[in-house]
Parts: sequence; structure tokens; C-alpha cells
Amino acid sequence: MASASSERTSLGPKWFDPLSRWAAKSWMFVIFFIGFFLFWEVSIDLFHVPRYILNKPSEIILASRADLPRLLEYTYVTGLEAILGYGIAISIAVPLGLAIAFSSILRRTIYPFFVSIEMTPKIAFAPLFISWLGFGLLPKVIIVFLVCFFPIVLNAILAFSSLSEELERFSRATGANWARVFWKVRLPAAMPQCFVGFKYAALNATVGATIAEFIGSDQGLGFYIQISTGNMRPDLAFAGIFLLTLLGLLMFGLVTAAERLLIPWHISVRRNA
Amino acid sequence: MLPGRFYALLAPMTAAVQLSKVSKTFGAGVDAVHAFGPVDLTIESGEFISLLGPSGCGKSTLMLMIAGLLEATDGEIRVNGQVVDEPRTDIGIMFQDNTLVPWRNVEGNIALQLELRGHDPRGHKARIDALLKSVHLEGFAQRMPHELSGGMQQRAAFCQALVHEPKTVLLDEPLGKLDAMTRESIRSDLQALWMQKQPTVVFVTHSIEEAVQLSSRVCVVTPRPGRIDRVIDIDLPWPRDLEVKRSAKFANYVADIQGIFHGFGIL
Repeated sequence: MASASSERTSLGPKWFDPLSRWAAKSWMFVIFFIGFFLFWEVSIDLFHVPRYILNKPSEIILASRADLPRLLEYTYVTGLEAILGYGIAISIAVPLGLAIAFSSILRRTIYPFFVSIEMTPKIAFAPLFISWLGFGLLPKVIIVFLVCFFPIVLNAILAFSSLSEELERFSRATGANWARVFWKVRLPAAMPQCFVGFKYAALNATVGATIAEFIGSDQGLGFYIQISTGNMRPDLAFAGIFLLTLLGLLMFGLVTAAERLLIPWHISVRRNA
Repeated sequence: MLPGRFYALLAPMTAAVQLSKVSKTFGAGVDAVHAFGPVDLTIESGEFISLLGPSGCGKSTLMLMIAGLLEATDGEIRVNGQVVDEPRTDIGIMFQDNTLVPWRNVEGNIALQLELRGHDPRGHKARIDALLKSVHLEGFAQRMPHELSGGMQQRAAFCQALVHEPKTVLLDEPLGKLDAMTRESIRSDLQALWMQKQPTVVFVTHSIEEAVQLSSRVCVVTPRPGRIDRVIDIDLPWPRDLEVKRSAKFANYVADIQGIFHGFGIL
């Protein structure tokens, strides 16, 4: 925003500029990335690794092409669990965080409860939920909700209770009512800290969905990875892992895009621009 | 046509700010810290008065009490004749750390003051532009705070604190974090603004020279617990430009006040 386009240094069409900038910055990583997979590809033959332990990347690609319809269906299943659980977690945790930040009663009751439960690995509840609610979508959504909810709510409490003393006094001196101060000052000021929770939770979401599927399910990528491993098909397991990675990237990417859109002024966004 | 001053004499005399036996104690019992006072002080309308003292003497505490943002433990504060028992909305206030929000540009930050008060800032575009011009920020209305230097941020913050045209302005070390040259330059803008609009200004500072240059009166505040040791009339011509600052009289005021703080064992 500040630095208007300085002199162009490349010659190609204008749309090529960001691409060439990216290449200039990231070529070392690209080479390392390609090198890593080449090494993997050749070392399977080189070290005589049996195929029931590990496959070549090229074999993984071929195997996943053969089983693509099922993989896509399961990606949808796991993605739905992750996104539903994550979305519900955000829509409950943010208002609740706001309430806790401003209610002295909630701050003395629910807040310490949340802080102590934060020490519990939420995923430990997964078998219980499966046994209570069965193999369907609902227990997975609840487990994803659990692993996403706490980072979001704790960051939201922090966000809404850490307005600077100066801004607080400035707002009070205008005589504005609570709602107006909330929309114009408190909410925008709280967004950066809220996004810390959103991003952390986005990473948790796919982890939660996968483990929930490991424990008990008949579909989804977690289920697929477990079955493929049991069938000594590491190639298919890796295909599932790859799609889970894509799913995680997609969710994290969407949250980061939302962050750039909503708080372009924040230092963490500007620094990465 | 008589000068406006004459009519002012006819109106019932109400001081802009009146402090009677105001004091502040933080905490209670054995842990109580006596921070400030008791202090009596009458600030007349249109005056530029400085609270000058070492850091930690309670100057900012007093300012927050005048604004109604902090309750006095004892005594009474009146602003324009009314007892202060809740935040005053008819004053402008500015702190050492400015209240520019990072998600709005300069113009939007100034408008925030109006919006929080329920005014539509679109009706006040001319006023905002004039204010920006008076602090030499014309052309920066669309810039974000992080794109400005510290001095320019404080200039923008002045506009934010003054846009609702308050009759009383409280400034808590607004130049405290700036370098000497920037301070000098903003001081003269501040003085010009005050001379033009004639609000009552309460200015907290720990710079003797700054207090003498800007003020019609300087209150010398003692170290904690802060009390007003004496109030010094600064009888120098306006505007207090470089020429005035070079004068022997200016130097005398500064030297006298330095002597007082020396007596406190501070200098």
C-alpha cells in the first residue's frame, strides 16, 4: 500500500511480475523440494526397500490415480468433518470469549475451568464420543470442535480483554455507548489476537478429524490410511496423507486469506506482504 | 460594539476548571499509596496552564481526575461549574501514547472521535481538512498511522483530540516520546492552534523550557505525593517564537524554575 510500484525490473508481461518475484525469493526452496523427492525416488531401488514398507513417489501417484474416486469421496468426508467442527467452534468460542472477557462471574467460573481443561489433550475424549454417538459424522464433528474450541476461546478472551488503557479512556471520554465502542474500537482491536486462535485451530482441525477416524469409522481419509496400512499398501496410505496435507493447507490458506482481507493493517500481515 | 471580553465579565464568573482540596490515594490500609494532593487550583477559561513536575509525581493522575476518568479520593473538581462525577465528554484529551487506531487512516482516525460521539463525519470534512492543515499534515489524510513518523502521528493525534472543538483540552505529555527537534516544531504549531481557538489547555510536561514557552501559568508540582508548590505567571509576549526564547526574561524563568526543582533535591 505504502510503496507504490517502484521501477519494474523484469521484461515479460505484467502478470508475470509476482511470479518472477516469488521465484527470485523461493528458488532455493524449490530446488530442495524437488531434490528431496528425487532422492526418495532413487533411494527405494538403491537401498532395496521392500514395497510393503515404502513406495516411490511415482508409484504413489500411479496408485492414487487408480483409486481416485474413493480418495476424493473420502477427502470430502474428512473435509466436511473438519470444516463443520471448525466453523461451529468459531461461532461459539468467539461470543463466549467476549462474554468471559466482560463478565466477572464467568471469569471466575468458566474461565479457570477452561484453563485447567486446556491441559487435557482433548483428543483423549475421542473414544468416549465414538462409543456414545457411534461411527457417523456427529462424533467426528464434536471431536474436531473440541480440539478447535479451546485455542479459539482462550485467544478470544485475551483479545477482548487487552484493549490499551489509552484507547479505553479515549472511548469513555467520548460518551459513546457500549455497542458503539464495541463495533468501532474493541472488535477491530481484538481481531489480530482472535486470528492467532483461528490459525492454530485450523491446523488442529484436520488432526482431530483424522484421529477421530482412526478410532472408529467406515469412511474418510483417516479410515483410508489405517486400512491401507493394514493391507500393506503404503502407497495408498501416502496418497491419503497427501490429500490430508492439501486439506490442511486449504483450510489454513482460507483463514490466512480472511486475515489479509479483514486486518490488512496489522503488522503480522504487513510483514508477510 | 464592545469587545467580547466585556460581555464575559457580565456573565456569572465560572472558572473552566476548579480544584478544591483534591487528593488521590491508591489502595487502602497499610498498602495505601498517597499519590497526589491535596491541591487547590483555579484554571480560568482560555488559559494555557502547565503541570510541571518530575515523573511519578501524580500529574497524569490529576489530569485523569479532571477528565472524570479517575475518581478523586477527597475534594471536589468542577469543570465549567459542574461537579465532575463521570467522564466528561466536553473535553479533548491526549496521552503520551496516542490513540490512533491502526486500522484507520489519518482522516478516519480523526473521524473516529466524531463517530463515537454519534456525528456523521461526512458533514465535518472541511473542519478535518482545516485541522490537518494547521498541523502541516495536508496531503497525509489517506495515510495509515504506521506510515507516519512519531512526530506526524502526534500531529494527527492532536487533530483527533480537537476535532469536536472542545473548550477544555487535557494534554498528558503529548510530546514525551519525540526527539528534541520534532518537539520544538510541534510546540509552535500547538501554540498557534491555541492562540487561534483559545481553548483552556491543561498541559502535563516534565520539560521546564516547554512549560515556560507554552504556558500563561506554570504549576510547579513537587515529587510524590504531588502538591502544587507554587504557580508562576509567565509574563512573556505571544507568540513565544525564537526571539522570545532568546530573551533574558525567558532564560530567567527557566533558571528560576530549575532553582525550585534543585531545592526539591531533583536537579
